[in-house]
Amino acid sequence: MSTLEEQTQGDVLAGEEDGGSASLTTPARLGAYVRRGGVIVPILTTLIAFIAGGLVVLVTGHDPFSTYKAIFDGTGLQWVFPWVTGSARSTAAFNLQQTLIATTPLILVGLAVAFAFRAGLFNIGGQGQYTVGGIVSVWLGSSFAGLPPVLHITVAVVGAALAGAVWAGIAGALKASLGVNEVISTIMLNWIAIWAGVYLFGLGGPLQDAHQPSVPTSSSVSASAKLPVFWGNAQLQGLHIGLFIALAAAVVFWVLLNRTRLGYEVRAVGLNPDAASYAGMSVARNYFRAMAICGAFAGIAAAMDILGWKFSLFTNDIQASSVGFLGIAVALLGRNTAIGTVLAALLFGALQTGTSDRFLDPSVFNPNLASNLTWMIQGLIVLLVSTDVIALKVLHSGRGVSLVFKRRAAREEAGR
Amino acid sequence: MSVGAIAVAPGRVGAPRHLGIAGLILAVVAWVITLPPMLVRTAVPSAIIGVLAMLAGAIAFVGDERRLGSGAIGLGLLAIAGATGNTNSSVAHLKVVFTWSILVAAMLRYATPLLLAALGGIISERSGVINIGLEGMMLMGAFFGIWGADVLHSWVLGCLVAIASGALLALVHAWFSIHLRANQVVSGTGINFLALGITGYFFIADYGSNGTPSGISQVPGVKLPLIQHVGFFGGAIGNANLLTWIALLLVPALTVFLFRTRWGLRLRAVGEKPRAADTVGLPVLRTRYFAVVASGMLAALGGAYLSDAFVGSFNQNMTEGRGFIALAAVIFGKWRPVGALIAVLLFGFASALGDRLPTFSQSAATLFQALPYVLTLIAVAGVVGRSRAPASVGIPYVKE
Amino acid sequence: MADSTRPALEPRASTRPALELRGITKKFGSVVANDRVDFDVYPGEVHALLGENGAGKSTLVSVLYGLYTPNEGEIVVDGRPVEIDSPATAIRLGIGMVHQHFMLVPVMTVAENLVLGHEPTRSGGLLDLKAARARVREISERYGLAVDPDATIEDVTVGTQQRVEILRALYRGARILVLDEPTAVLTAQEVQELMDVLQRLKQDGTGIVFISHKLGEVLQVADRITVLRHGRKIDTVRREGATEQSLARLVVGREVLLTVEKSQAHAAEPMLVVEHLHVRDDRDLEAVDDVSLSVRAGEIVAIAGVDGNGQQELVEAITGLRAPAEGRIVVDGHDITRKGVSAATDAAVAHIPEDRHRRGLVLPFTLAENLALREFRRPELSARGWLRTGRIRSRATALLREYDVRGGGPDAYASSLSGGNQQKVAIAREIASDPKLLVAHQPTRGLDVGAIEFVHRRLIEERDRGRAILLVSLEYEEVRSLADRILVIYEGRIMGEFAPDASEEELGMAMTGRQAAAAG
Repeated sequence: MSTLEEQTQGDVLAGEEDGGSASLTTPARLGAYVRRGGVIVPILTTLIAFIAGGLVVLVTGHDPFSTYKAIFDGTGLQWVFPWVTGSARSTAAFNLQQTLIATTPLILVGLAVAFAFRAGLFNIGGQGQYTVGGIVSVWLGSSFAGLPPVLHITVAVVGAALAGAVWAGIAGALKASLGVNEVISTIMLNWIAIWAGVYLFGLGGPLQDAHQPSVPTSSSVSASAKLPVFWGNAQLQGLHIGLFIALAAAVVFWVLLNRTRLGYEVRAVGLNPDAASYAGMSVARNYFRAMAICGAFAGIAAAMDILGWKFSLFTNDIQASSVGFLGIAVALLGRNTAIGTVLAALLFGALQTGTSDRFLDPSVFNPNLASNLTWMIQGLIVLLVSTDVIALKVLHSGRGVSLVFKRRAAREEAGR
Repeated sequence: MSVGAIAVAPGRVGAPRHLGIAGLILAVVAWVITLPPMLVRTAVPSAIIGVLAMLAGAIAFVGDERRLGSGAIGLGLLAIAGATGNTNSSVAHLKVVFTWSILVAAMLRYATPLLLAALGGIISERSGVINIGLEGMMLMGAFFGIWGADVLHSWVLGCLVAIASGALLALVHAWFSIHLRANQVVSGTGINFLALGITGYFFIADYGSNGTPSGISQVPGVKLPLIQHVGFFGGAIGNANLLTWIALLLVPALTVFLFRTRWGLRLRAVGEKPRAADTVGLPVLRTRYFAVVASGMLAALGGAYLSDAFVGSFNQNMTEGRGFIALAAVIFGKWRPVGALIAVLLFGFASALGDRLPTFSQSAATLFQALPYVLTLIAVAGVVGRSRAPASVGIPYVKE
Repeated sequence: MADSTRPALEPRASTRPALELRGITKKFGSVVANDRVDFDVYPGEVHALLGENGAGKSTLVSVLYGLYTPNEGEIVVDGRPVEIDSPATAIRLGIGMVHQHFMLVPVMTVAENLVLGHEPTRSGGLLDLKAARARVREISERYGLAVDPDATIEDVTVGTQQRVEILRALYRGARILVLDEPTAVLTAQEVQELMDVLQRLKQDGTGIVFISHKLGEVLQVADRITVLRHGRKIDTVRREGATEQSLARLVVGREVLLTVEKSQAHAAEPMLVVEHLHVRDDRDLEAVDDVSLSVRAGEIVAIAGVDGNGQQELVEAITGLRAPAEGRIVVDGHDITRKGVSAATDAAVAHIPEDRHRRGLVLPFTLAENLALREFRRPELSARGWLRTGRIRSRATALLREYDVRGGGPDAYASSLSGGNQQKVAIAREIASDPKLLVAHQPTRGLDVGAIEFVHRRLIEERDRGRAILLVSLEYEEVRSLADRILVIYEGRIMGEFAPDASEEELGMAMTGRQAAAAG
């Protein structure tokens, strides 16, 4: 698996590390490899993770096939099959609505992490940005009752986006001005955001719901700020329009990166900061801008959850949430591309719904076990995409020709 | 101080530096005199001392000790505010919150798991491998520690099972980040997810919704016969847990190891410049494997303390980010055991105080939980003194 | 085997070589880096390994030090065939290495670095640093290599760091010392000190392998000289009787006649004026010290000098990448001092950087994206924040054709091109921006002969079109064949101006700072 790198090292003597790849940042290298290997790598990664999860199920005395079947049934994805009819169809429809509700924020936090990767940054702070977005959107959504709905929703969503942008912007500014590693700062900001939320909505907190003095929660979002439901029953948590906002965000992500000067600069900085500053781009400024954009995506993700189906924010919900962390898995599995992120979000959203105690048949498999199984699968996926082992295995076997070509290129490089 | 330590931070000792430190100490004094047992009931002396602290800080700042100076100024300001708050609170309240022996005992309890994990983090990062997976390794220790103690009816065996589980997970991280040259942050993130799943899965599979039973063999406290009943000391350390003492003893032990032994020198060389270590014939990859596995063992022991000594039971995701606080302590403590000890004592003190603050205000107690993260953020921003990570941390080593 | 060294060449000091390499072949894929190379060194002699960059010197040394395993051939130490599979083995066999890029841990002390891997210990594995310091003093006194054992590596000079590397090899009991391009980073005085040290080591019976591509210093220090070219051993000669000309012929393989056809320059008004420029480097040391110069339209001015004498900082200051501490930079009447890259670009400054992988190109970008790096802000390529991707692409297509870039169209990744074609892309981009001043920093570094010719021709053409060109180069021949005027830089100062037909001695003296000593 190390052949490529060794080849490029070629004639370089010990210690000389100025070969081609050394000038790339770590996330850039990661980003570069996840762009290799097409769709085969993510699919293979997912398959391996599922097989490993199935083994755990098997070892602990359950049937992996019926378990996965039950989880799949819980996702509602069978709705797309025309032969599913009658009550099974309406159940599937409802389940699918829940899957898509879960997918919506995952798309957005996935974009938040992916955009950072494209800028050569590692945004572990999706969770914190999501949290502040949630705080602000629930606050704005529960205030100003009686505003026209479109305006109220806009205010709450934009507020959440700004809050996320500011929160991520802190990490960006620290990186830009003082060189503080964004991994460290975003981790710290995650926990600060979480505790700030617990403080604000906790008992005695300034934003705690005055109507329920003994419950640590926020006030409820007023009707004018709720996202309209377009599929299913609004009373029964049907699918809200947030999905379209998330999909639109994916389009914005692509356009921003590939069609604007900002995206061009962000990508150049991400792939080679030295070359970017040589071209007159400000590396620091682009770090800040990229982080702020990431934060906006994550903030909107929270607004979709708050205005779409949660309508209020409990402190234990703030502490237990892991949407932002999942964004890392989504972005990596989606190879930091817009379309990949959407598909990976759908996978994780389906897993989340399929294993939840509301939708998984407990007679087949204990939902509490299943949700932990999901964590294992997600962990394995992240582990497997953290290295290029699968990518190169694929290149070795299925794409021998392209590998030979690359070897030749590497050798030519080595020859000079 | 060891030679190695001096080598890492060439000491530039001078008057401004001393003034800055003096300012920090003065600021603490300004706050402490309004607390039991002194209980000065007017803020005037505190204000005077606080202003002196800020003055010292300002002079230090002008004398080019900018970080220390600004730190003293900030802390002085905080101390005056805190002292004013104290003098406006009732003596009874203050006495409830600031029962020093109880506070210190609680601080040690909170600090122990953090310290063990942080020491592990130091070993790993000193060898050049980032260990974001500390959280997951702690969680493994927390579950398998109490599970082992339950199944094998012995806390000793429980701790060993915990250590083994942490080592195993660390081995996965090591394999990915050293052998497969994975991105270490991503790999660590995966490790955390994986540990959450594994511990949660087996917890549910073994204990269902009832949770761990009571009566599991627990790590005992160490009763110090001489000082057990001696006022402050008796309350503070007279009956501290065995693992607390082990963790504290590991601080000098690891310091000696890192800075006074050949193995420590080699470990640090591998983390700073692996190519140099390689060319003098040191096994870079093996050293890193050792370090990562050792860090997993220590983190898991910290987790075992949490479940099998501190709380006495396990629940899902019970570490709740303590691995990240430990990581913060590593950075805050500048990758040194003593530094990490200071950091975890500070964080532990904040938690201990947070436990007792509800007397005043529940929400204020909550805010205290965020303190370690805020402090670390300030620390990495360079206010307390620029932390300098081992030069090659996070970079996979490619042998020629 | 036996014919590897002619009997007449063997020094009298010893009858048996300390080290022999016999028929070493090392391949990387189909590239043969070393082709049946024989090499030996006797105790108490300096045997130089001479060759151009890429001739296979580094590979041979890596084989010797256990970093690469040879495909064929054997290594003999003290008459016994050995297998060197790692640096540890090489060290055990008494082979010490002074790397071109020092293998020292910057945050550790001299003593700690010296003993690393072979630490003296007291009971219980505790380091005995007192013993380590004593050893440092002992060895350093014996060879006259003064170092402070308690100094931290990152705080001492490059020359001292090199001394530590030599001391470390000796501490480990090295009887064969390999020095890889040891003078590349040294000041003239440090070079002289190194030569003295090597003399003492020689007298002590150490066999020294001295790797270099500089003819002068090889003639100064070596007893025998082996020349490598394209991975093959060309010849081994004694120093006596060898001249720079004879060695150069062996190194290059033909009479050195690397001149470029060019007409007389028609220099016009000054395009770049630099006045009393002071620039500090990353360590905040003065790298450029009161430099004043001017380049007129239609002429090539070359900055010649040994690497690391402030060239990089000078180029970075002029192109806006580094803010100078003092002084003024004026391009075509516009003061661009401390105004950054954008201002320099707006004043029509273009820059061919010395390292195309680090700065010149974004390797994972497409060629079209790379070709837009200099001018993406101009309205032709972007408007109101939007990229005009169509124009970026069509412009790229035209440029690729004009510069005969092979290996891919505008959508190919820069990383897929060969080095020469990558450099063409960088040059195309810079010249396409229609610069008044073109700063070319080592524009032919790492290129093959064909590509070098292309670059040289292009630079002359651009000069004749009236552009002002500032060429920074480490290559004598390049400087002399391209430049209309030569400025020699040494330790950040301009030592003097020379005509292109100045003798090598004149230039060499200035580049090593000797003129300064004479002048005062």
